[in-house]
Amino acid sequence: MISAEHLDHDILSRIDQWHRHGHMIDDVAFDRLAREIWAFQCAHNVPYAAYCAALRVDDARPPASWREIPAVPTAAYKESTFATFDVENAALAFVTSGTTRGIGGRHYMQTAALYDAALLATFDHFMLADGAKLRYLNLVPNPHERSDSSLGYMMAHISAHRGSPETTGWYVRGDAFLIDALFADIDDAIAQQQPVCIATTAFALVLALDTMEREKRTFTLPAGSRIMETGGFKGRTQIVNRTELYARACTAFGIGDEQVIAEYGMTELTSQYYDLARPAITLQSGTHYRVKGAPPWMRPRVVDHEGRDLPDGTIGALVHVDCANRSSCVAVLTEDLGAIVDGNLVLLGREEGAHLRGCSLDAENLRPS
Amino acid sequence: MTALAHLSASRIIRSIADACARWSDADFPPRVQCLDAIAQRTGYSTTVIEYALDTIFDAVDEMSLRDIANDELGALGVLDAFTTVGSLQRRAVPIGTVCIIASRTTIGVALFPLLLALTAKCDVTIKDREDGLVRAFLGSLVQEDALFASAARTVEWDATTDAHDLTVYDAVVAFGDDATLGKIRAQCAPSARFIGFGSKASAGYIAADSLCDKGQLHEFALRAARDVLLYDSQGCLSLQILFLEHGGSLNAHTLAHAIAEAADAIAPEFPPSRRNAHDESRITSIRALATLRSALGRGEIITAPQANATFVINAPREDPPPFATRTLLILEVTDTNDALSYLRAHGVALEAIALASATPDLREELAQMGVSRICAFGELQRPPLREPHGGRPRMLDFVHLSIADHV
Repeated sequence: MISAEHLDHDILSRIDQWHRHGHMIDDVAFDRLAREIWAFQCAHNVPYAAYCAALRVDDARPPASWREIPAVPTAAYKESTFATFDVENAALAFVTSGTTRGIGGRHYMQTAALYDAALLATFDHFMLADGAKLRYLNLVPNPHERSDSSLGYMMAHISAHRGSPETTGWYVRGDAFLIDALFADIDDAIAQQQPVCIATTAFALVLALDTMEREKRTFTLPAGSRIMETGGFKGRTQIVNRTELYARACTAFGIGDEQVIAEYGMTELTSQYYDLARPAITLQSGTHYRVKGAPPWMRPRVVDHEGRDLPDGTIGALVHVDCANRSSCVAVLTEDLGAIVDGNLVLLGREEGAHLRGCSLDAENLRPS
Repeated sequence: MTALAHLSASRIIRSIADACARWSDADFPPRVQCLDAIAQRTGYSTTVIEYALDTIFDAVDEMSLRDIANDELGALGVLDAFTTVGSLQRRAVPIGTVCIIASRTTIGVALFPLLLALTAKCDVTIKDREDGLVRAFLGSLVQEDALFASAARTVEWDATTDAHDLTVYDAVVAFGDDATLGKIRAQCAPSARFIGFGSKASAGYIAADSLCDKGQLHEFALRAARDVLLYDSQGCLSLQILFLEHGGSLNAHTLAHAIAEAADAIAPEFPPSRRNAHDESRITSIRALATLRSALGRGEIITAPQANATFVINAPREDPPPFATRTLLILEVTDTNDALSYLRAHGVALEAIALASATPDLREELAQMGVSRICAFGELQRPPLREPHGGRPRMLDFVHLSIADHV
């Protein structure tokens, strides 16, 4: 059995090779690595091993490829601990959102090294491909207040390594959004012509834009500035169309569409996806969607209700096989819908939750007259 | 005066019954012409659509309409003139103009209120669907009597882009979730009668002393499977939660297996509808989570591959019912109070419940809970027209009653 240290070393070296030299991971190497991690997890992660066994995947019947690795549903993190180690010794523990039952689960990580290396390499590749030095304005939870927020941890790590502590700003305190403080720091950055990265959840971005509209305020961010939108609207009642949201953001902040980049991650994963700088594609619904790219150690699958891969371009449930998830579960089944197009991910959003149906099924909304 | 004001109620129900009789024939050309469009709109198979249309049109005849009038108004004649009912003279005049807004994915849900509002001599506007089922049926009614052309009309509007003035109606019938009903209600005139049919579910209850004979189980399972598969468990009368009382000879595993086998057996009769990605994804999540729980000794999952159905056994009580396509939650409970507390905890409003056996106490409890229909398994989705829907009378909502007392 391969040890945790050996696996971590292998994964870290692949992250580093991609980060520094752009080396990809070919199909054979990805397949081998993912299945080695699966075998390790089955040996050390009791609930996951039981789940795999229930699906008739075990030592005697191992997955024939990475595509056959059983994917744990994200909702399961709320009722079981998925870890390959004693979680008393966890280096990191992030709380998942309680979207299903209002209860949060935890994603434990044995080492911060994998998370740190994966997030920096990926951020550099997708957000800082031009090598920009940015001032980080974080409209996300502050890790000093919410140490269990993966998003807060991520932006703190990025700000510390790619920005400067003196100029980094945090604009969420408790449940409050410090929009005035954000605007003051934007004014300051503009005065000093420091390009900024506004890291924000979609919900907070709407809040900022609404405030700007109310105050009849716009900015022209310094050249090279960008917005990283993430986090969606989970737990919020207000949902907006992403295309409209980005258009509003571009007008309000004086930036181009390509400077608004969506990050897609989740607490149950170690790695993240980002928008690719390529034209949006149109799926069967007629809606335009941006295409997302992943680092080479993570690959998406789109599956049907039997867990079988759906053909390219077909919308279905999303599975992420994330080799950096070494100390939990390498394959995660999400409640998000997506499609694979040319090997990349198109994210469509969240599946509809349980609701009463009947005569009212698919009830329509009426526009007020 | 409404368009049908001078037509006798007997004549109206005869015309309606005759039109329905023609539509009961599967080869009736207007019905045949609607089939593909209904399939396109709803995703249901032709077999299921035929079943639905048979259920609707077979249910309507002169006798059933007359029975409803007698039950709810006292006599059919009160729709034409003051008529003695008991010791009083009673008259029912049409409420006036009625608008019916049906949900997008059901089959013919607007037809019953349409027919009853017409029987009450109201003028009716129906928001029709893309398949034009209601419009086609109205064509048949007009062939019976040209006055129906003035009494009923279909209108199409896109709720997301078009406004339709609801303030002009004396009554509005709407099907939808609470938020939708709230929006519609807010658009009605203050004096209008709002007849809303909100989100509801249906369940089954098997008492401990039921199904003791193994020979009964197969027959029972076939009936329960039909309640699950028909309309893909998406109807308010579909079986979505099945409670099994502890202490009997039957356990949830055996029960689920029997229903799954029965579902596979009748799958050719009730083929699954075309699923969208949301449905598919929800089932993927439900199955994965139930499999994991099963592996950890928390409940069980059984699937019926031919029927594409999922049976989730003893999911945690904190979880709401799945309400997913062709998915049945089976929960073992100590007694009816246990079952009712689960439903209350999740705010599940029941439209109907199927019972393997019923006691007067249980029926009373269910009625107190607001259950409209209590029936046998296999009959959940075949309510007689005479039964109330959503706990409301069928015809009374469309009239104003006047009583002449010793005058």
